Amino acid sequence: MLGSIPLPAGLALPFPTGVANPLAAISWDMPFTPGIILALCVIAGVSTFLLLPGRRDVSIRRIGGALLLLAGLIFALHLVRYGAANRQYMNVYFWIFSAIALVGAARVVTHPRPVYSALYFVLTVFATSGLFILLWAEFMAAALVLIYAGAILVTYVFVIMLASQASAPGESAAARMSEYDAVSREPLVASAVGFAIMGMLLFVIFDRGNGLVPPLDRIGHSTGGDVRVHDLADVPNAGNTQELGVYLFRDQMVNLELASLLLTVSMVGAILIARKRIFSAEPLPGVAPEVITAAATPIDDNPHSIPVYGTLNPRQKEYPET
Amino acid sequence: MTALALEHFLAVGAIMFSIGLIGFMTRRNLIVMFLCTELMFQGVAINLIAFGQYHGNLAGQAFVIFVLVIAAAEASLALGLVILLFRQRNTLDADAWRDLKG
Repeated sequence: MLGSIPLPAGLALPFPTGVANPLAAISWDMPFTPGIILALCVIAGVSTFLLLPGRRDVSIRRIGGALLLLAGLIFALHLVRYGAANRQYMNVYFWIFSAIALVGAARVVTHPRPVYSALYFVLTVFATSGLFILLWAEFMAAALVLIYAGAILVTYVFVIMLASQASAPGESAAARMSEYDAVSREPLVASAVGFAIMGMLLFVIFDRGNGLVPPLDRIGHSTGGDVRVHDLADVPNAGNTQELGVYLFRDQMVNLELASLLLTVSMVGAILIARKRIFSAEPLPGVAPEVITAAATPIDDNPHSIPVYGTLNPRQKEYPET
Repeated sequence: MTALALEHFLAVGAIMFSIGLIGFMTRRNLIVMFLCTELMFQGVAINLIAFGQYHGNLAGQAFVIFVLVIAAAEASLALGLVILLFRQRNTLDADAWRDLKG
């Protein structure tokens, strides 16, 4: 099967006939071996180590970024070849969306400023929703953009703005950056562990999934790449949203209700966690004074700051330190 | 595009999950750490939808809806905790809390 594979058209084009094609020198019969995955993961790990924020020169970080891009390109090339071997020619939009998503993800991790990380994450979310559309999941694509880019990311950016220290106006951009943003923790170990896991996952995917074909194709129910379910016999050509709605409210009713309950509980919990207790010296008119009856969050870092139960003054400590 | 190439989507999901994992381990800013967990959620969501499409049913997409619910709940609670921690130490550094035992 791997004997004579025609090159994908896009790879052979840039070289006019008569000129020796440098790509032809590479043995195209070689399967996607674990060695390639291992080598690419090592290269990517080293370049991620260089790229992560730290006390390094900007030029070294640029070299790391270029190396990472190179590793990604080589991987994509092998993926194209692997797909060609299994007669799977992916849509060009797949390559565009996954490239944007992965570059955005790498920038989320490696950008030293949290606000830019959040913005690159928005980019990743949009690209991922593009991938969802390629998988015929239009509703999930829309939900991803609405929930992630619309709600969660706004909250993240809001908290980033809220929780950043004010700096003196004259400082340079480098000095304004906090030390914990500029220096990462154990970049070498983390890169090694992360890319070891990535290599293992990719190896399993390409070792076991040797040209997987959808089951629907095998029993001949599907046409082309469109493997949508036509579960609703009475609604011909129902869209993904309609199908998903019927599926959720017919087969997943209890789970859906539990999920909504969970959201409500977490909202109440978030309000309870993040609220700020304001103690006034004298009780407000019409409000019963609050008597401390249970252990509360300590006001300072003092481990002995246990509130005295039964008092009106929550700042009174059982063992006041000097 | 004759057949759905499952491995391609699985590979993208695996790479995104690993990138998020690396970020969670290396970054010291609490907010960026939680952003990296969201990246890992995205990688898992790509995997789930690809598998759902591969098997030709809607279970994968329903699962992603529940993942989104968990992500939203996690984000709201985690950001509340981050604000609480920021008020206590006036920093977002995760290493400021390394004296926590447990």
